[in-house]
Amino acid sequence: MGTEPDPAQTADDEMGPLERWTHGVVNDQEKRNRLYKALFYVAAAFFLVTTLFPFYWLLVLALTPSVRQADWNVSIPLLGEVPFPTPQGFNVHAFVEVFQQVPFHLYVFNSFVLATTTTIIVLLLASLAGYVFGRLEFPGRGLMMLAILAVSYFPPAAFLIPLFDAFLGNAVVVPFLGIELFEPPRLVNTPGSMIMPFSALFLPLSIFILTTFYAQIPDGLEDAARVEGTTRLGALFRVIMPLSAPGVATAAVLTFIAVYNEYFFSSIMALNNQPEQWSPLVGGILSYQTQYTTDFNLMAAASIVGVLPMLIIVVVAQEKIVSGLTEGALKE
Amino acid sequence: MSTEDRTTGPTRQSNRSGPVVAITRWMENLGETGFAYLLLTPVMLLLSAIALYPLLRTFELSLYQNVLSDPEFVGLENYVQLFTGGASARLPGSTTFLPGVSTSGSFPFVHVEGLLRSALAVTLIFTVVSVFFETIIGFGQALVLDQDFRGRRWVRAAIIIPWAIPIVIQGMIFYLMFHPSAGFLTGPLSNLGIIASTNTLNDPFSSLLIITVADIWKTTAFMALLILAGLQSIDRSLYDVAKVAGATKWQQFKLITFPLVLPALGIAVLFRTIDAMRIYGLIDSVSGCTTVPSLSCMVVETFNTNRGLAAAVAFVTAGLIAIAVMGVIYQQYKEGF
Repeated sequence: MGTEPDPAQTADDEMGPLERWTHGVVNDQEKRNRLYKALFYVAAAFFLVTTLFPFYWLLVLALTPSVRQADWNVSIPLLGEVPFPTPQGFNVHAFVEVFQQVPFHLYVFNSFVLATTTTIIVLLLASLAGYVFGRLEFPGRGLMMLAILAVSYFPPAAFLIPLFDAFLGNAVVVPFLGIELFEPPRLVNTPGSMIMPFSALFLPLSIFILTTFYAQIPDGLEDAARVEGTTRLGALFRVIMPLSAPGVATAAVLTFIAVYNEYFFSSIMALNNQPEQWSPLVGGILSYQTQYTTDFNLMAAASIVGVLPMLIIVVVAQEKIVSGLTEGALKE
Repeated sequence: MSTEDRTTGPTRQSNRSGPVVAITRWMENLGETGFAYLLLTPVMLLLSAIALYPLLRTFELSLYQNVLSDPEFVGLENYVQLFTGGASARLPGSTTFLPGVSTSGSFPFVHVEGLLRSALAVTLIFTVVSVFFETIIGFGQALVLDQDFRGRRWVRAAIIIPWAIPIVIQGMIFYLMFHPSAGFLTGPLSNLGIIASTNTLNDPFSSLLIITVADIWKTTAFMALLILAGLQSIDRSLYDVAKVAGATKWQQFKLITFPLVLPALGIAVLFRTIDAMRIYGLIDSVSGCTTVPSLSCMVVETFNTNRGLAAAVAFVTAGLIAIAVMGVIYQQYKEGF
């Protein structure tokens, strides 16, 4: 605990500087704490640089008008040429051109529509389920929660083939019985072909978050509302849901991010990645990769535009993301 | 368990009539169990339509050949083809499902080139390597975030940001970083002999390496957050006791932090494993499915040509993931679900 003078200190005079330093670190609490502090700052700086550097790289590329001729080396005294990208020009026009070459705003708009619609559907369905799991006792409760949990972890690829068939408008057949149920409408290239899988895949996380929150509302509050003459559903949407606003916001933020970031169904269900086919952000970015194969600055500028909404959400809703992710995973 | 006092009190016998009122009254008169099942109906319908039906139908399709033209029931033949590398189990770019059963048949069981042409091996290698590094780096990030320091909020935001960016943009960033004529890393790294100097993004080994790094960059944050939650649930007074007893920081870590954070760590590893085994989007946007064939890639690439086989791959993928899901469920069960 204390830092009383060490008896070993007196023998220090005969040691070299490095030896003395290590000796001090081993024996002196004060020096040891300073070492830990230094290690901590080095680690924190390292993590900051590694996570943020790729965004810097995007910015460098977007501002550099002719990427092919760019020289990504910086000469540093003593070390010589070191590979480190710096902007070779200041071409802000790239951020305008992004919207001219490809209707990028339409892709982003589609992403927002899909993410918002899915979030609303998920919140509605997850509220019902969260109310049931959090506040009601009934046979099969644990089993049903496990089934819902299991669904969300299966790979989208395991659902793709029959879903794609059904969304093309082919008849839905009862597995193993061969009975044709009905012919669904042709949903590919419409929001429905994406919103339905998104809702199913991202529903479980919201159910688990809302179950925890809804379970914490005291029974008395619900009963009071019921005495006032509200129906059970009315109590859910007028009392329990508003009282659980932080939980609802958490579920909403996580669902929105998940849909905005989704790749699998987003890239497959809009057949030609056209904005008129409700292709979201994925289609916009990929069309730069496949059609404008040498416009690297535009690819980078498009990526920056696409990433901005998420940057804002993370900065604003950080607490919600952290609590939602950890609760969703650890307290399910 | 049917009607309780709930049905009598709050439900006013309204004079109004009409379908809405009738339905409301009917719902109010349902018992708790009936009401629970009623509210779960929409969720269950959606999950049955989007998950359960496709899963069963996928299994059914995997028992057929020539599904698109002239369906023929072949039993487990597609699975046999997968595991023996039969002629029909080929993909664009001579990709197979298992290693060692590669195209020419001359590959020994573990030949790097053969290994990286097989969907199962690529998926497993990617999963093990990326989850391993994500765990270690995530632990480091969690330890940093667990400290009290000024600007902690901003460091945490910075660490979370990669997790929140779209997969397609994550792919684009690394595509641009390693593109032979745009990227700044291709030159130096190929000089060191780590990645191929030309056609970097068409080289199986280089691409798998790049994709693994990209995945570690993006998803380590998830690991860090779960481990951080575990760290913060540790009773701080344990450390005070340890300090009084004269334990060094390393001893505190070894004897208190690590054992107590282990359950959270286990869950985090399982979640990441499940997620990593589904990899598709990152591969598709960095180097394409024929260069780095993962299981999901194999499904997407073949389902329009060889539907039965694609269904078999999809079902095997689901089975592999089901094993990890069982692990999660077992963990939850142990902790008293």
